[in-house]
Amino acid sequence: MLSFIVRRILASILTLLVASFIMYVLTAYSDNPLKDLQASNAPNAQLLIGQRIERLDLDVPPPLRWFGWLAGAAGCLTPFTPCDLGTDLNYTPVTQLLPNAAASTVRLVAASTILAIIFGIITGIVSALRQYSAFDLGMTFVSFFLYSLPSFLAAVLLKEFVALGFNNWLSSGDSSIGLIPTLIIALVIGVIMQALVAGSNRKRLITFAIAAAATVGMLYYLDAVDWFQQPGLGAVGLLLLIGGIVFGATAIMAGLNNRRALIGAAIAGVLSYASYFALQGLFDISTVWTIGILGLATLAVCFVVGWILGGNDRGQVIRVTMVVGLLSSLLVVADRYLQAWPAYISSPRINNRPIATVGEQTVGLSGDMWIMGLDTFTHFLLPTISLTLISFAGYTRYARAGLLEVMNQDYIRTARAKGLSERVVITRHAFRNMLIPITTIVAADIGVLLGGALITERVFAISGMGALFAVSLDRVDVNPVMGYFLVIAITAILFNFLADLSYALLDPRVRVK
Amino acid sequence: MTNILRRRGRALAGLAVGTAAMVALAGCTTTTPETSESGSAAPTGGTISVAQTNAATALNSGTPDANLNTNGMVDYLMGAGTGPGSFFYVDNEFNVVPDETNGTVELVSEDPLVVRYTLDPEAVWSDGTPMTTTDMLLAWAIGSGYYDDATYAEDGTVAEGNVYFQLAGSTAGLDTTEFPEIDEEARTLTLTYGEPYVDWNLVNLINKPAHVFAEHAGFGSVEELHTFLEETPAGDPENPGEPNEQLSALAELWNTGYNITSMPEDEGLLVAAGMWVPKDFQADDGGFISFEPNPEWRGEMQPSFDELIIRFIGDPNAQITALQNGEVHVIEPQPSADTIASIEAFGGTLIQGSQLSYDHLDLTFNSEVFSDPAVREAFLLTVPRQQILESIVTPVQPDAEVLNSQQFVTNQPQYEEAVAANGYSDFAEPDIERARELLDGATPTVSILYNTENPNRVDAFQLIQASASEAGFNVEDAGSPDWSSLLGSGDYDASIFGWISPGVGYASLPQIWQTNGGGNYNGYSNPEVDALADESQVTIGDEERLTEIMIEIDRLTREDFYGLPLFQVPGLVATNGAVEGVEYNGGQTGAIWNTWEWTLVG
Amino acid sequence: MTNATTTVTQEETAGQSQGRLILKRFVTNKASMVSLVLLVAIWVFAISAIGIGPIPGWWHHDYRTPSASIVEGGRPTVSLIPEWLGGAGIYLGEHPFGQNRIGVDYFAQTMRGVQNSFVVIVLLAGVATVLGTVIGAVAGYYRGWVDAVLMRMTDVFIVIPSIVVGAVVGAMTGGLGVQYLAIFLGLVAWMGIARLVRAEFLSLREREFVEAARVAGASDARIIFKHILPNAMGVVIVAASLIAAAAIILEASLSFLGYGILPPDTSLGLQVSQNQSAFATRPWLFWFPAFFIVVPALLINFIGDGLRDAFDPRQKRFSIRRTKELPENAEQRS
Repeated sequence: MLSFIVRRILASILTLLVASFIMYVLTAYSDNPLKDLQASNAPNAQLLIGQRIERLDLDVPPPLRWFGWLAGAAGCLTPFTPCDLGTDLNYTPVTQLLPNAAASTVRLVAASTILAIIFGIITGIVSALRQYSAFDLGMTFVSFFLYSLPSFLAAVLLKEFVALGFNNWLSSGDSSIGLIPTLIIALVIGVIMQALVAGSNRKRLITFAIAAAATVGMLYYLDAVDWFQQPGLGAVGLLLLIGGIVFGATAIMAGLNNRRALIGAAIAGVLSYASYFALQGLFDISTVWTIGILGLATLAVCFVVGWILGGNDRGQVIRVTMVVGLLSSLLVVADRYLQAWPAYISSPRINNRPIATVGEQTVGLSGDMWIMGLDTFTHFLLPTISLTLISFAGYTRYARAGLLEVMNQDYIRTARAKGLSERVVITRHAFRNMLIPITTIVAADIGVLLGGALITERVFAISGMGALFAVSLDRVDVNPVMGYFLVIAITAILFNFLADLSYALLDPRVRVK
Repeated sequence: MTNILRRRGRALAGLAVGTAAMVALAGCTTTTPETSESGSAAPTGGTISVAQTNAATALNSGTPDANLNTNGMVDYLMGAGTGPGSFFYVDNEFNVVPDETNGTVELVSEDPLVVRYTLDPEAVWSDGTPMTTTDMLLAWAIGSGYYDDATYAEDGTVAEGNVYFQLAGSTAGLDTTEFPEIDEEARTLTLTYGEPYVDWNLVNLINKPAHVFAEHAGFGSVEELHTFLEETPAGDPENPGEPNEQLSALAELWNTGYNITSMPEDEGLLVAAGMWVPKDFQADDGGFISFEPNPEWRGEMQPSFDELIIRFIGDPNAQITALQNGEVHVIEPQPSADTIASIEAFGGTLIQGSQLSYDHLDLTFNSEVFSDPAVREAFLLTVPRQQILESIVTPVQPDAEVLNSQQFVTNQPQYEEAVAANGYSDFAEPDIERARELLDGATPTVSILYNTENPNRVDAFQLIQASASEAGFNVEDAGSPDWSSLLGSGDYDASIFGWISPGVGYASLPQIWQTNGGGNYNGYSNPEVDALADESQVTIGDEERLTEIMIEIDRLTREDFYGLPLFQVPGLVATNGAVEGVEYNGGQTGAIWNTWEWTLVG
Repeated sequence: MTNATTTVTQEETAGQSQGRLILKRFVTNKASMVSLVLLVAIWVFAISAIGIGPIPGWWHHDYRTPSASIVEGGRPTVSLIPEWLGGAGIYLGEHPFGQNRIGVDYFAQTMRGVQNSFVVIVLLAGVATVLGTVIGAVAGYYRGWVDAVLMRMTDVFIVIPSIVVGAVVGAMTGGLGVQYLAIFLGLVAWMGIARLVRAEFLSLREREFVEAARVAGASDARIIFKHILPNAMGVVIVAASLIAAAAIILEASLSFLGYGILPPDTSLGLQVSQNQSAFATRPWLFWFPAFFIVVPALLINFIGDGLRDAFDPRQKRFSIRRTKELPENAEQRS
């Protein structure tokens, strides 16, 4: 294991060296770094050109200049030598530029990756289980479509329709959904639900009718209570949702016949529901840390509950209890955020137009963590969606193909022959093996996503690394470009390494050597 | 039994952990329950948000690396070297408007040129420190290069010696001044120029606070800095000395100290003379810089709102969406018919004008094909200027006209007079017949250099190409994204690019028109023009003569078939209707030039 | 699609050659065949409309030179609603896709964009496929240090996201023309194929037929290209189709950022970027190029999907019916 890691690290450093050389030379030759000054009619243009040549060593050919950069960058490897990635044209050290930019990008990319993985895998599994159903064909089409949709197009469309459309609707004063949209939404949901359930025509028809009617009723209710202006889950809504989580999570993870799991889940649900009433006062004065500690406390309590209930399959009960506890408390927190919504949208700086199209925050907005959290949410919503779409399509396809591949394996047949239920076959045997190829894809995808962030950040004016790269490349400012490259390359290498390690975790046959 | 005991033990442990968690929890809440704020965003007063394409990178635009338009706006708002709070600002008609809040400027004598700067007795920086003559002395020391002892090599690099303060502009003008005379009692500083300097009225000696420089460079007080500046001898390029450490320390603050990547912790960097003081900052595209009113501001002009935000949005289309979405109130987009229509479509307010930059077609005098004046004339006769204007500018600015002067832009009062005298209007419409006659059957090949990344230039090229080929010219596409480094290379016969008219000042005149001038890329040479350009630089205070000189140069270039001015680039400011009082300004300051007249409505 | 399943079983009994089988399977895949036909139709249409190089096309406007007059304010003149439905009748008009601001015919511009994206797809995917196949084949066949060196090289290029290299390469070569851009981008897009081909070669080289060829005295090159490669073609073709689809997006994205194809030439990404501000007022300037970016990419994806199924029909066999055959009460026994 150790020698494997050492060899990997050595190989990675070599890779980085060569890649950085290529990148450096390509960037340096990409354009003329003096173009702005050469076209200037300032009286001292010639002087400025001289200064810039001197400062950036432009008279040294780029391949040689790279050694100078490398000497400085090498200092970053040891803690005792100064880490010098050079300065940008503005004399700012690159080491100072990167952390700010990286923070924005990481927030964006991490959120999108997680969302894409969750939704991609779920959709992929359902597609595979309902192979050739209307849902599967529909999802195939949708994922191919998203695959073919350049992210800048998606971004423009999101802005035009989602942001402007939603804000106009919300600020128009009459934020009711209207009859026709209600019917359309109901139809769409009905069609999706019946495709998911499959089975006989009669069963489908019933599902369709129920789903559509429920949707209409729901939307009508939301309209009636002016939900979009003053949203919230409320005591009743929360009760229903937590109940759903208790049964849903138990059914998927342990089966409803597992009494202990069900009781554990129910206790976790009840505790979360109780916390909704108990904690409102604390929430009002909360910071992010408070919520973090509460979250840990929830997990700890659920662990204890699960452990005590235990039984033969203690691990499973603990897992179910913790998942239910976590999801239910998230709902309670979400409800608190929704409570802050009316105050947020009526703030003069928001002015009833919450969904933002540029930037990361409303400048000068102040408020408690709920208000600021909503502000971050409304700013990152669209960029995250647009970035999620890129990888969502791929993950769906791979998850579907992976599950289909796995379902044909002999051990699945054996599992079935043993008389295991379909749920157990899928969650215990197939799911795990399906994840192996996905891991590789996710790791390889990080690089692509970071690259994709380039466009998203530009269109949504987020001051992340993509923006840093684009601005610097335009000015042929090599040092920040190299700083950006280092971060991306190291992330890519790191994730590939993690993917290799996780093979060992997921597939006992693989030994890291 | 043991099992139960163990369980109890664990339960106790769990309890202990729980208690610890509760303690931690209590520690992690906000200290004061914000009962008033919880559940409602803090009420804010008037905020106006302006979008800019480039991010601000420094609180000082005077150095070459920070010489970006957004940094210039920051300087203007802070009253550093320009803008209210300093000695003067430039309005949207390019008048130099004195601002007497902190001091006055007077011309004492024309020959020799002597200018006196007087500080108001109550003049004060935004941190409450009174202004002193040292503030002006420091600004002069920075702008004059008095202490530099460098000699320059052919390519502009420093061959020997030291340059302390890096300047975006040049030391031209101030470099001929002697060490200023200072009268502490009267709070005056008097400059005596060694040579006449035409742009003396653009020298502004309120810039950055001396007390901040004194502190940064390790001087005990402003007085010590003053004495140091007085006692340090002028730099002598003949005998360059060792770098002066204290000067270097001062220069470091000027050169790089004001560069910012996040809101500076050092409050000294925020000290301003103008009506606005930086409040918060986030770097890069997507970031912003916000300003609050200067608490010490005593000027007559007062802002009516309490926060000004400049947001950096690099994508021009994102700016329009943001305006529509109410995220910004004022934008300055590159106008296009679509931009205008879409802003109109959502009920935004359009304020149109012309930018200071203008596109022009220059013929290369030392190219083979254009060494013959007849060919030059023939080519100019084919240029469809009206058509270019109509396809590029008219959709945006219906009343725009073809630009008929190389010296003045339409925003300037002298423009009409120049057009009447210079004769550029002869080329209003192409005259293909006459061009054919002049060519007399020849089919010269003309290559045109232009920037392929600028759609206006591409369109202009395509239109010229189509029209010139009718007269028999064979127009080659020499366009390149790297056009700027090709300028002056002589690999092309004509070029389409833009100059930015300075609006105010005459110092750049010899640059473009004089033989071998730094910006004279097309090998133009006319002894008469050379003489006029020289004369312009020593004409002090005589605006009429300067206008005459420029009109004369205009006329001479027209007779030499130098080339043609094409059009002035249209400009646009748009608001979403929430701000009133915004006026178009084609100059470098842009729309924020009159923030004191802005009011929020609705 | 379900047809394919039955076809497979029939063909297997008929005992035809592998190539024919695959072709048969592909041809019977309706979605892919329709996609292929449509894609070819779009490309033939676009290329013939404005011609190649000196050969003129059948469309009477050029994509560079402005027309003398701007018809209907530049609105598309095409009409698709017949008169008997109350429309203006079916006709194309002078400028079916409208005109841009200086009066250049937008149909010609869009077709030029399609043509350029075709060039990018063919050259980029071609260069990347050939390079990736050769590198992967050599690495997989020889193993040892050759493999180590080549794979480290692959790692180097994989580390740099393609859009970043693309941006740099685009900034360097954007002005040179679309061919150079495509070739340079191809030079940095071969890594995926190389890895797949290498993996395939590593397993194929151990097979008996390779041993047989070696014993028969075949040269390395012959073994690689005549014996192993045909067996690895499936992987190559499927990967190439994916690269082709990605190439459209990459070119469009680069042009959108301003690093790709530059005026006076035009590309679909560039048109979208230039006309974003026209979204509200002259939407056709935005939608036509957007359409021609998305649709060909979509079609290629469907073709790629069909190819994958044709080469590797295993996934087809799993059917939900099998799970339905399980006893209903299986749940209780777990």
